[in-house]
Amino acid sequence: MGTSSKALTNSSEFVRDRLRGRRFDTTGFLFRVLLLGTLFITLLLLTTLIFDVVSGGWSVLSTRLGSFLTGKLSISATTAGISQGLRGTFFIGLFVVLIAFPLGVGAAIYLEEYASRSRLSRIIDVNIRNLAGVPSVVYGLLGFAIFVKALRFITGPQSNGATVISAGLTLAILVLPIVIITSAEALRAVPDSLREAGFGVGATRWEVVRSHVLPYAGPGILTGTVLSLARALGEAAPLILVGATTGFLSEGAGYSLSSLQERFTAMPIVIYTWAGRPQEGFRSATSAAIVVLLVVVLLANTVAILLRNKYEKRR
Amino acid sequence: MSGIKFMLVTMLTALVATACGGGGTDAEGLTGSIVISGSSTVEPISIGIAEKFSLDNSGVRISVDGPGTGDGFELFCKGDTDISDASRAISESEIAACEAAGVEYIELKVANDGIAVLTSPDNDVIDDCLSFSDLYSVVGPESQGFDNWSDGNALAAEIGATKAAPFDSAPLAITGPGEESGTYDSFVELVLEGIADGRGKDAQTRPDYQASADDNVIVQGIEGSANSLGWVGYAFYDANKNELKAFQIAGEDGKCVEPSPETIADSSYPISRPLYIYVNTTKMEESPALEAFIELYLSERGLATASEAGYVELSKEEAAETVAAFENRAS
Amino acid sequence: MAQRSVDGSSFTLADLRGERRRMRKEAVIKTVFLGTAALSIVISALIVFSLARETFTFVTQVDASSLWSEGWFPRRGLYDIKTIFVGSVLVTLIGMLVAIPLGMGAAVYLSEYAKPKVRRALKPILEILAGIPSVVLGVFALAWISPQIVQRMNSNSALFNLMAAGIGVGILVTPLVASIAEDAMKAVPKALREASYGMGARKVTTCVKVVIPAAVSGLVAAFIIGVSRAIGETMVVAIAAGASGGSLFSMNVFERGQTMTAAMASMASGTDAVKGAGLTFQSLFFVGMLLFVMTLLLNLVADRFVRRVRQKY
Repeated sequence: MGTSSKALTNSSEFVRDRLRGRRFDTTGFLFRVLLLGTLFITLLLLTTLIFDVVSGGWSVLSTRLGSFLTGKLSISATTAGISQGLRGTFFIGLFVVLIAFPLGVGAAIYLEEYASRSRLSRIIDVNIRNLAGVPSVVYGLLGFAIFVKALRFITGPQSNGATVISAGLTLAILVLPIVIITSAEALRAVPDSLREAGFGVGATRWEVVRSHVLPYAGPGILTGTVLSLARALGEAAPLILVGATTGFLSEGAGYSLSSLQERFTAMPIVIYTWAGRPQEGFRSATSAAIVVLLVVVLLANTVAILLRNKYEKRR
Repeated sequence: MSGIKFMLVTMLTALVATACGGGGTDAEGLTGSIVISGSSTVEPISIGIAEKFSLDNSGVRISVDGPGTGDGFELFCKGDTDISDASRAISESEIAACEAAGVEYIELKVANDGIAVLTSPDNDVIDDCLSFSDLYSVVGPESQGFDNWSDGNALAAEIGATKAAPFDSAPLAITGPGEESGTYDSFVELVLEGIADGRGKDAQTRPDYQASADDNVIVQGIEGSANSLGWVGYAFYDANKNELKAFQIAGEDGKCVEPSPETIADSSYPISRPLYIYVNTTKMEESPALEAFIELYLSERGLATASEAGYVELSKEEAAETVAAFENRAS
Repeated sequence: MAQRSVDGSSFTLADLRGERRRMRKEAVIKTVFLGTAALSIVISALIVFSLARETFTFVTQVDASSLWSEGWFPRRGLYDIKTIFVGSVLVTLIGMLVAIPLGMGAAVYLSEYAKPKVRRALKPILEILAGIPSVVLGVFALAWISPQIVQRMNSNSALFNLMAAGIGVGILVTPLVASIAEDAMKAVPKALREASYGMGARKVTTCVKVVIPAAVSGLVAAFIIGVSRAIGETMVVAIAAGASGGSLFSMNVFERGQTMTAAMASMASGTDAVKGAGLTFQSLFFVGMLLFVMTLLLNLVADRFVRRVRQKY
């Protein structure tokens, strides 16, 4: 605080300046331009990306969208389709919804509503934050060691464990911390007065959570979970480690339950494989597959964003 | 909350159902699964066959991967795969691994392939024909650190039997397949091994080149600099003929031969090799689907897949030998 | 409960405590939730468990000299850690050079300058960017960034290069940095800004001299989390940086290269099958363990900074 007297004279000058009214604020203007510039570059990159893939995949999307969506993986770019990739991505999404969502929301409820400031809950909290930062390849190694190897007898003995069950479980675990963190944030935003009103009429904690907290935090929780679903659908690295098929996959049992124990592939893997094929035709097929994946993922994101905007307005 | 309860119940039922599910039976056609892995070079042929096969046999689940010949045998000799694609014959250590695990197999030759040694079309510094010793002196184990073609001159002169060497001074950028690949093994075996053995060196390439499992990366790498050097399977060269230039290769007889379907088929092109599939015979006994798959593979329609995938079909005699090998598998 | 109040009798504390069955149900529910929360600890244990065994085999059996050799060629028995570590550092550095200005700029604008309406329009765009899968950015980095930006910057640049991969990673990390940084700046109390304006400070002065210093620990956290995410990013590098078989030690970002993550991805196609000289398979887990420890340390440090923001305001 040694400079306080100097700062004081400085600021009084400022006040005088301000009161007198100043000329055009050049620094302020430049700063603003700089900030807008960074936003503009970000926007430009995004539009370039979208334009680049849409124009690249247009020849496929405009001529044979139907057969592209329903067709199978093939060595010939002109007939190759992504139905098996969509199937894998669908099942992975299902696993995330059925496993990561209930577990994640449950954990968030415990941390926000039940846990006292105990050592255990602090450890759990720090642990979850760290899990959220673990690279996805490392989760791939977890999936390989646990689901593909150790639990092979459940995940698919005939397919050496390299099945959509292993992939789905791995990605469910991958997004679990994200689901917990976003749900916990939504729960934290619920005003305490709401809870107190519940306790005031003699409700137990669970009754308060069920009838007061969850309905209020619902949209927020949903937003977070949908965003994490989008994240799971776009992940490729863990699937490589879990053993997604890259070459060819026959249709097999399609969407039936027994097909869960078959070998699988998923949209991001299809894109990764096709991006490495030398034939010219696969460049447009790759772009077209990207467009399809982007539509799926961005649709999920848009739903989440709209939900949140509606929710924020209501508050 | 009933939503979550419902989800949990569905999830549990689903898991239990799948755990007990196993393979469904199809009253009409063949059922079961066929797992194929191995060489990325042979992969397109196997995919082509799988596509043809699944047209008539929708009940059979087939998956094809191409991590590389060596990686493929690693799985095959554990009994994890039914068919192993290979761009070279099975090695001693792999035979031992298969034996140790009790995996019995037959080797079936399904196509021929050449390895094209490539450069950029802009390359006007290096002559069009390379001999094995030319290649050895720039990619062999003793060439580590050479970043100019002319660095190899002394070595080439020492070995002799050169065609293009002494090279003019030009930067040397090498791109090729990585060690997991059968193309790498074949290149080492066909081109480098003879000279390396004679000089008491390990048969391998120099470590300091850009290696990739992705043929596209290799093609791009060769395209990328004017005096580049690289090698890929003939099919990949064929698919990118406009961007690449193939060297003629002089074998032991010193005659320069260009890679083409004809020269590969009659083995006059020195770096040509057969492509194989290895079939687990124990599994074939148990699985009519696998047997039918191999029958399709070896039929005329099946063997024609090789040329569709950019390789060279077996000659009539070779095809007859393969079919005979398959039919006599019991003995 | 409803019946009792009809009786008109007065409540006692015992009534508030509720029946025994209700309490038992409550206890069961609490235990179930505790179980779901404790699952995260099980997951952490599983990660360490799945990495530890093979890592131990690798560390005890590897020839130490191969850890410091001419390059990363796991299938040949050359496990030069510095090659892929430096690759990771270079890609992260380039990524952060992209993500810090773009992300922080967006954050400052959104939190300090943008009118609510503009903010509502711009924020979703950043979120869309955050939702783009990394394979897509990988293909974009290879097919567009490399020829259109990197090869124009340096005409000798290879098509597959660390620079393009780094820029791709930077774009991927930008929305993450922006969102954490914006949260940090929004956490700065209004009173601080008003005090500054009250002294006659301009907006830019308030922003640079008051808000940013006040939010500095949050901004540091944004930076560290960005770094941790960039180190862990796999697919962009696996697609755009080439060199999947192995790589020599090199500091040239215009050439192909490999990071720790991409090295894992390239080894792992068919994890069961990884074949090579002895410890190739185990090296996969060793690199995974290194990555895990590195990102864990970064996250712990970042967490400390985030906590500091929360405590302060």
